[in-house]
Amino acid sequence: MARLFALFIACFTLGVAGATKAGGAETVWSGLVIAENVSQPERVPAELMRMEKTLKQLFGYNQFRVIGQSQKTLKTGQEDWLAASKFFALHVDARGESESGYVLNLKLYKEKELLLETDTKLSKRSPLVIKGPQVGGGQLLLVLVVE
Amino acid sequence: MKTFEEKWTAWVDGELSGKELAEFEASLPDKPAAEAERTAVKKLGALLRRELVAPALSNEEFFSHQLRERIARENAEQMGRFGAAETARGWDWRPVRRMLWAGSASIAIFLALAVFVMRDKNPAGQSQYLTQILNARVDPVVSPNATISMFQSKDQRVTVLWTEGLQSLPADYAAK
Repeated sequence: MARLFALFIACFTLGVAGATKAGGAETVWSGLVIAENVSQPERVPAELMRMEKTLKQLFGYNQFRVIGQSQKTLKTGQEDWLAASKFFALHVDARGESESGYVLNLKLYKEKELLLETDTKLSKRSPLVIKGPQVGGGQLLLVLVVE
Repeated sequence: MKTFEEKWTAWVDGELSGKELAEFEASLPDKPAAEAERTAVKKLGALLRRELVAPALSNEEFFSHQLRERIARENAEQMGRFGAAETARGWDWRPVRRMLWAGSASIAIFLALAVFVMRDKNPAGQSQYLTQILNARVDPVVSPNATISMFQSKDQRVTVLWTEGLQSLPADYAAK
């Protein structure tokens, strides 16, 4: 009986341990990106490399230039931060961490004017791209990636 | 210093002698009555010694045989209770069977727990691993014709919030 009980406990522990993933502090990269078509495109920034093909297919531009960025390590999942360029600012307000990612409130400002607001559940495995306004011959994109 | 009772017992047993015997007999108030009592005690002792001897076994072999048979019978009964039949055939399979049952039960419990935990952890299927847009809005005053849509590029797991009709801005706004 005691051996059976020990076996049960061992299996239970294995089951729970196998299904549980260890958590830890993670970094969110948020960037303001200008997508445009140029004759001599620059290299894609490292943060965007893994989605370069998708960005090119989706938006039809050959260059992605970062005009403002921020890298924030989340410890409590309640932090907020700003990624800003000369005219734009992306305010990110983290409102909690879930098993798969972070709940974020995003606000895009043009100077002091709120252009766009969204609430999102940012997955640790899935980047978020927001198509912003047309800027000259290009396009403003907001990109968030859990690194 | 012996008490009177000790001297009396020694006198009855005939263990007093010499001066001690003479002094004790001189101290007796009624010597003939004491003599009579000593004689009675001796008779009683002799009777007890004669009658209380343990009876000798007349058939020791038979008694031993009966005892051995009884022990053997009791041992056989005990073995029967704990699987004497299997032991007699050469191998007791019951511990193995118990282990198999315990192992099977443990695996079943493990699988049930794993299914339960995994189902709970992933209630929405694959979408749990993709970024979800909960809601989005644009300022209707600044961009009255703006529309919002969202989709996911599954190959790279990119979630896209697609806006149309936002106010266009001059190229100067692309500055760092």
